[in-house]
Formats: sequence, structure tokens, C-alpha cells
Amino acid sequence: MPDRSFDIVIIGSGAGGGTVAKELAPLCKDGLTIAVLEWGARLKEEEYTGREVEMADRLYVDSGGFLTHDRTMTLAFGRAYGGSTVVYTGTSLTMPEKTLARWNVEGLAYDDLLRRSRKYLDENSVHLLDPADINDNNRLFHDACRALGYRVEQFPINVRGCLGSSLCNLGCPNAAKMGTHRVQLPEAERQGVTVVTNCRVSRIDDRTLRATVTDPGFGLPSAWAPGEYRIRAKIVVVAAGAVNSPALLLRSGLGRRLPALGRYFTAHPALILVGEHPRPITNYYGHPKSYYCDHFAESDGFLLETCMYFPFVTAKNLAGFGAAHSRLMAAMDRMQMILVLALDPAEAGNRVTVDGGGHPVVRYTLADQTRRALVKAMRVSSRVFFAAGATRVHAPAGRRFFIEAAERDQIDELIPFDGLKPGKISITSAHLMGGCRMGATSSDSVTNAWGEVHGVPWLFVADGSLFPRCSEINPYVTIMALADRVAERVRERIAQA
Amino acid sequence: MKQQAIFLAVAERVVPEMAGLGRRARADALALVEHQLAARPERVRRELALLLTLIRWAPAIRYGRPFERLSPDRQDAVLAWLQDAPAAKLRAGFWGLKTLAFLGYYGRAEAPETINYRPSHDGNTLLHAR
Repeated sequence: MPDRSFDIVIIGSGAGGGTVAKELAPLCKDGLTIAVLEWGARLKEEEYTGREVEMADRLYVDSGGFLTHDRTMTLAFGRAYGGSTVVYTGTSLTMPEKTLARWNVEGLAYDDLLRRSRKYLDENSVHLLDPADINDNNRLFHDACRALGYRVEQFPINVRGCLGSSLCNLGCPNAAKMGTHRVQLPEAERQGVTVVTNCRVSRIDDRTLRATVTDPGFGLPSAWAPGEYRIRAKIVVVAAGAVNSPALLLRSGLGRRLPALGRYFTAHPALILVGEHPRPITNYYGHPKSYYCDHFAESDGFLLETCMYFPFVTAKNLAGFGAAHSRLMAAMDRMQMILVLALDPAEAGNRVTVDGGGHPVVRYTLADQTRRALVKAMRVSSRVFFAAGATRVHAPAGRRFFIEAAERDQIDELIPFDGLKPGKISITSAHLMGGCRMGATSSDSVTNAWGEVHGVPWLFVADGSLFPRCSEINPYVTIMALADRVAERVRERIAQA
Repeated sequence: MKQQAIFLAVAERVVPEMAGLGRRARADALALVEHQLAARPERVRRELALLLTLIRWAPAIRYGRPFERLSPDRQDAVLAWLQDAPAAKLRAGFWGLKTLAFLGYYGRAEAPETINYRPSHDGNTLLHAR
């Protein structure tokens, strides 16, 4: 088994790992050796085809269909050079102060987090799209929310040269999305960081990692030949995401000393509603996600976002089947879509474990408050659709496949609380958080406020698994800000050594 | 896939347009499904086989004949019952089966055009032209 040796090894190249790599890269000119080990492939430019099934296979774990243990929720997370930043929609928000207050992490101050977040907004070209580039699907949502008196805001987006393909979640085919694959990783490599793709770390022992490099049959070749490797490192930063970071640490035997490892997993459980308009609207031309409504976040625990998905994803997210389902699917050019997200509580029983083969298993049960939030969100979304001029609405928890415009006064009765049946309705998540939560003590947390694993001074975590509660917004900028803190603490450790 | 015939019988109720696919298109649909199943653990394929067996033979108790020999309306009734089954495990199993049917039909390269979905890498040019 070949041996490799580095001063610092970073596992994962997404929002967390990519950020740590770039922030530590200047150490290379001082003679330190740094490697990023990334499970996914680095795609060639021509491989960003935008073809739905092909790109889901190449860029997502389990092709975007990783299921929780009871099969009632689908988790979508990336596996690529750039991690999930390759496949998410690019919305870039800083965490509100009141959310951080609810996190209540000693040593994590709002001003510090905001300063670091703003650094990445600037680095990633985050800005508001020009009104001329906003399509009907988004504009109708905005105007309807305004008409109903709901607070609605425009999403700042991390793009440069966006051509409005609407294919963000399949990897931008125009190289316009400024994820870590376009910004932080190339800069890190330019300064001397080694990035090894197609490399899956199976276990971490005392400053020694076991990893396997494979050839997936696409993408650029890995820096290392296929095979098993033993890698020694003075410092290890785990940034494999909220499913794989806790799973890796559990496989590595840390669960015994850290009872909170894997626990307090949160997900912003989400589902899609569709409003059908009488005439074609622009929905798959232009950026898909321009607006959000947080009017009900504090009162009812949910957010609404605009969205536009692809044929297969749309089909599987509609409840029902048969002729009615097909009729709606045939009207993709007349669909307006809303994604509703519930702000779920952090509960110890919602957790990442590993099975006998070491594979991650996510056990997650919707809390009653989350179920109520999703149902209320569906009711509000239906009102938004009708205010926008839709002739009928598909709400997954509805009594019938369609709610007609003439029935808009009966929305609450037609979307009952018991209509949300786990297993029947497609509930998804792309905001995976927790599992290695920050806190003061090892009895109920995994790391301190700087991502240092309790009791293991050479081991850090730098991704969304650090979150002690859900972020109540898209987590990606907050992950980068926290990763920046981790990098700062790693630099201090190196300097002390 | 074992029980391909019963899978197709179910898929044609989930997506009625499946019945109108030609031989090549049907082969493409099945290939997509097989590709996904091949990437999953053996346990998943066993559970799918068990569910298909249940769907095939459970109707015989009520209707006296297996699923594939029921009228379309009765087939839909069987599947609708599964969709709203009292046990979450059954509901989730049927959702998974539906998902495979949707993958086979809507995941094909020809499908987007038939449902008026025509994205472009330069969507903004077309957006501005509207």
C-alpha cells in the first residue's frame, strides 16, 4: 500500500473543504504540504451537458436519491471536485443575528461570522440579477407575494456570466456558477495545494488515513493512480458534509468518546408545489431561483422559494400517478413552481449512524411542528399560485390531485394536516446540517466553536455538520465563514508547533 | 430485473404513455431503471421484488385474479390503495416503484420535447426574446 505524507489533509472539497484549502494555501510557500482528498470527480468542461439523468449520476451521491432509513425523505448532496457547490442553485445569504443567537455557541460571535461571510460574498461575485434576467416563474411569485402582503426578497446569487440555462442543479454548463470548483480550489492549487479526486477516505486513525482511489470512467484523471493508500498527516480537517463527516468519524471509532457524534441532524425538509397557468410562461429560461418569502419563518417555521426543476425530478415530486399526473407533466411550459422548506428542530434522535459495512444511515423523523409547517406552507403557496393567475394547483398533501381556482376559498380544507403522509409524499432535502455540532463540552457536542474535535487536537471539522441547529437560510455562505474560522485555528496550531 | 412484466404493467398505470412506447423506447426506459437498480444494494432489489410480488398476487384475494389480468380501473384502485396504505413502509415502497417508472419514462432523451420542456444553455437569449 503506497504511503503518502502531508502536513495538512483536508477531506472534501465543497463549501467547507474548498474554503479551508484556499485559506491555508499560503502556507505552501513556507514549505508545508497540503492535500485535499475528494471522493468525487473533476468533470471536464464538455461533461457539463445539462442532461438530467447523466448529470445526476455524475454529480450526486446515489444520483440524488439517497434515502433516509425509513425511505420517507430523499437527501440530495453532491460528490464532485467542488462538492455540493457544483450542484446547488447559488443563493447566497448571510445568517441572521437572531438565528445565531438561537445557536447559542459560546465563542461564536455574530460580527465575526458576518465579516467572514461578507468576504466570501465578495470572493464569489455574489450579486442580484438584473430585472431583465428574471423570468415569469420568479416574477409571478414576487408579484403575488406582494399582492398578498407577504414579505418577499430577491436572492443574491454567486454567478459570473450567467446565461440563464436554469440547469444549476445539474452543474452549470456555462462555468458561470462560482462554487469552490471555480474560485477557491483553483486558487488553492495555484498556490501549491494538491487535490486528489476520486479518493474516498474510509477511516482515520491516529494522524493516519486509509483511502481508496478509483476510476469512475468520467472526469479528469485523479492525481493518484487507482488503489489503496495510507496517508499520514499532522493535521486532518474533515469536510465531507453532514452525512459523510459524522459517518467517517463514527467509522473511525470516535463515537465512544463523543456521544453527540452523528446526532442533532437537521435538513430543512422541503417539498414542491406546482401551479398550472393557462398559457406558457418563461420558467426554464433564466435563473431558476430569484426570490424567497420568509414572511412566515418566525411565526410558522417555513420559507418559500422559487424553483424550477427537470422532468424526472418534477415527476417524482408530484403526488399521484396516472392520467392526471401525465396531463400536468405535459404542461411543463405552463408550470409555476414553489419550493417550501420547514425550519426543523435539532433533535438527538435525528442522527447519522453507520451500518455493518460502514455506510452512512440517516435516521430522521419529522417533528410535529415540522409537519404542521409543511402543511401551512402548502396552503400559503397555493394562495400565492392563485394570486399569480394559476388556474389550478397541485399540492402533494391535497385531498385531490388538483385544487381548482374556483376552490381557492377552501384551501385549508383541501390541504388537511393528515394529508401529509410520510412515504406517500416526496419530501426532500438539500440543506444537510448537524452531526458534528459545535458546543462547549464533549458530552453534548463534537467540536468547539473553532471546529476542533473535543479531545483530539489534530482533528477538525469544517462543513455543515458543525451546525448545532438549522441555519434557517441556505447554509452555504455560513459553512464558508465557519471554515474560515477553522483555517485560522489550524494556522495557529501550525505556528505553535 | 426479475418480474419485468409486472413492473411494466404497473409502470403503464403510473405513466399511461408508457404503453405507447415503441420497442426501442421501452428498452431505453428499462435500461435506465436497471442502471439505477444496479447501483443500489442487493437489499433494495429484493425489496422491489417482494413489492412487485405483493402487487401481483394480493388483488387475487379481492378480485380473484392477479394484477396484470385486472381491468385498468381496478389496477388503479390497487395502486391507489398502496399509495395511501396504512403502513408508511408500504407507502414508501410504492413511492419508490413510481419513481422508477418516472425515471424510465421521463429520464429518456426524447421525453423532454414531448412535455414542452426545451431548456437551452443560453436561456437568457430566449428569455429576452419573449
